[in-house]
Amino acid sequence: MDKEPATDIPVGLSREELSHYADLARTFSGKSVASLFEGEHPDGDLSRLPAVLDTAFTIGLAASPDRSLPGSQYGIWGSAVDELGPAPSLLLLSVVAETCGGVAMCLHSQGVASAIALRAKGGPAPARVRLCLQEGPYPPHAGVLARPGEDAPARIETTAAEERGGYVIRGAKSFSYSMEGAGAFVVFTRAKDRWACFLAPAGQGGITVTDAGARTGLRACRLDHVAFDGVELPREARIDGGDAEELVSRALFLNWSGMSAIAVGIARGSVAAARAYASERYQGGSLIEKHPAVKMLIAGADAAARSAEAAVMALADCAIGSRGALARAAAAKLAATELAARAVTDSMQVLGGYGYMEDFGMEKRLRDVMVLRTACGPPAYLKQMFFDLTGEYAS
Amino acid sequence: MNQSTRERIEQLAMKNATGRMNLIGRLLVDNRDMSLWEHDTLTLPRGARRWRRKARRFAQEHIRPLAPEADLHPHEYDPKPLLAAAAREGFQTLLAPWPLGSASLRPYLGGAALQVAVVGEELATECGGLALLLLAHNLGIVPLLLSGSLRVMVRHFIPFYLGSRVLGRPGCMAFAITEPEAGSDAEETAGGAAARLVTTAKYMPGMGGYVLNGRKCFISDGAIADKVTVYAKIEGEGIESWTCFLVEKGMKGFSVGRSERKMGQRASDASELVFDNVFVPKKNVVGRVRSGWPNNRNVLNYSRPVVGAMALGHGRGAFERCLEFCRRTNLGPRKLIEYQDVQMELADMAISLWAARSMVWQSCRQFRCYQSASASAKVFASDTAFRVCGQAMELMGDAGCLHAHGVERAWRDSRLTQIYEGTNQINRLALFEHQSGTDFMINKESLFTG
Repeated sequence: MDKEPATDIPVGLSREELSHYADLARTFSGKSVASLFEGEHPDGDLSRLPAVLDTAFTIGLAASPDRSLPGSQYGIWGSAVDELGPAPSLLLLSVVAETCGGVAMCLHSQGVASAIALRAKGGPAPARVRLCLQEGPYPPHAGVLARPGEDAPARIETTAAEERGGYVIRGAKSFSYSMEGAGAFVVFTRAKDRWACFLAPAGQGGITVTDAGARTGLRACRLDHVAFDGVELPREARIDGGDAEELVSRALFLNWSGMSAIAVGIARGSVAAARAYASERYQGGSLIEKHPAVKMLIAGADAAARSAEAAVMALADCAIGSRGALARAAAAKLAATELAARAVTDSMQVLGGYGYMEDFGMEKRLRDVMVLRTACGPPAYLKQMFFDLTGEYAS
Repeated sequence: MNQSTRERIEQLAMKNATGRMNLIGRLLVDNRDMSLWEHDTLTLPRGARRWRRKARRFAQEHIRPLAPEADLHPHEYDPKPLLAAAAREGFQTLLAPWPLGSASLRPYLGGAALQVAVVGEELATECGGLALLLLAHNLGIVPLLLSGSLRVMVRHFIPFYLGSRVLGRPGCMAFAITEPEAGSDAEETAGGAAARLVTTAKYMPGMGGYVLNGRKCFISDGAIADKVTVYAKIEGEGIESWTCFLVEKGMKGFSVGRSERKMGQRASDASELVFDNVFVPKKNVVGRVRSGWPNNRNVLNYSRPVVGAMALGHGRGAFERCLEFCRRTNLGPRKLIEYQDVQMELADMAISLWAARSMVWQSCRQFRCYQSASASAKVFASDTAFRVCGQAMELMGDAGCLHAHGVERAWRDSRLTQIYEGTNQINRLALFEHQSGTDFMINKESLFTG
């Protein structure tokens, strides 16, 4: 696998700048993330995860709404995303995901929540935040983007009511990904039939976080359901300018494009592992890389991984937050996660029985990439979104 | 939709519209309210129908409650009660008809593997790992039957089967061909010729038997089996000398090594077996010396349709649980199942499973299973199952990834069916190999002019 970062990314970044980003992520992966996989842990030794994530903050890879931290600006989905576009973050995520999709998901979910929380003005911001947007098994549909109070097809049930000089939030959010230790929640609600967005301190009364339970993959990243039972917030906690629709689009765009980039990284990692295995394993009296059936599997996997990468990097020139960009992100997630899943399952097949065992890391990649395909917008939902966002809700 | 449109749709529904036909026309329309499962069951021979119904009940009563924990914590449950219950019900003795086994005679004569395949789908619908726990036992038994040896039947097969069927003993057998350096090579002709095998048998004339040395890996039920059919080459010879030996638990030098940690089918162990100067008496040679290779390949002919059926079960389990999710989950004011795109997806899954079932059953509708049909059924059913499980997860969105729903478990389980009993690539080559003298003859002219 070519270790140089893609040079054809259509953004105003030089090759050197892209190399710098990629090197930063590779160093982090090689020194910190890889240490999780010493010993027999199918999803990494998660007791070491806090130290790994601390390192990500220290070296500026993890973004944060706390502007004093180094990643606040140039970390994954840091404030510089509006200036540089999504390419650097996509690149960073894909490189980290070559080693561990779960750690990449931690950094990604922190970044998405930070990108929204950075809109907050005044007061000390927490270092770690969690995004609470989705209700039920799917994110909001296009009709709900425009009209959160209508069943188009399902209205937003979490509401923010103006009471006692502030807001009171009632409702429940599902499937919220985050890294451990979030100090505040970025909550999207309905307020007078418009979108509203709040930054709620994690310790606020009325907030209940429930672990979603055992799941397929991306296990390094927390997955919870969050209930808001009459959570009282001051007016300053509202971080949109009266309508958070653009922020919803922004959050969805970042979420889909980042998850697609993680899928690409996982696919690249799987192809590299399959190639390495095929160059060492003998069957039928010769290295299996000499067998046409294996060549076809590896070539197909590699081509799929590269196509997925192209689909994701095509987002580099998107104007984040627009409907058009959101449609493109939906298409990218649809295509990239399917291609990546194909790349990983074909790579796994190269390893035969060993690929199915936890020791070789391939089964983890397959579990992780399947979650990326299914979570935060599965294929049928994305198709519907793409159709609506390029038609009825194009503007 | 207004009232009149609703009424017209109601009138046009086939069941209501049929009322406007004459008597004979009405009789020719099948309007029975019957599940696809029941429709399919009625196409089976009578005895096989009974086993299908019985297996579904058994799976729901015994496997369903055990499945989630057995998958999450495979080393913390005791498989013996399940094995005993299955033996009492006759599920462990389906490879022979009465009086030796529990298979129904007529369907058995029509297809020796059909009843095991039918049962396999039902068990795997609830849990791939527990189904494998019960079914891998058959894999250990088949070499005894296919050896064609009366001596083996009398000494080993009959006592074991009667102990299980009559006394309900939770006995278990395993089948050991795979070696650390020979996976696919043990399952394919060209690969076999160049295989690097390490398990050898040395004849000891003075001791009246053979001494086995070597290792086998990924052996399903290896850790719990009472007896294992082990294939070893005669010392100093190649795979053509492969001989099948019946190795029994407790034989000196025979031990269980590493138990693998798998992505799915976790409730069944996949273990390494170690043979360190294990003495095996002559009476434990299964069939003739050096007849192990064809015996092994023929075992795969009988096991592959069952693997296809198990895959089908994984797919059906995912489909059924997804269907239930769509019935009870709202998207706005309507249930998911009321949306047309969801209905399309569910229908697509049902069609795929139906096609796979047809192929698996078709591959079993001859007394002797043959390589082309077995390999094709295994490939098609396992690929179909993995795709259907994925569709189910995707339809459920984020909920599809949660262990609690049992769909992602089926997805993980189904992936293994594309790998074991020969990868699907090896199985494609098996089809080509078997038909290379006819359909796939390379020199076509000789076929057309001959």
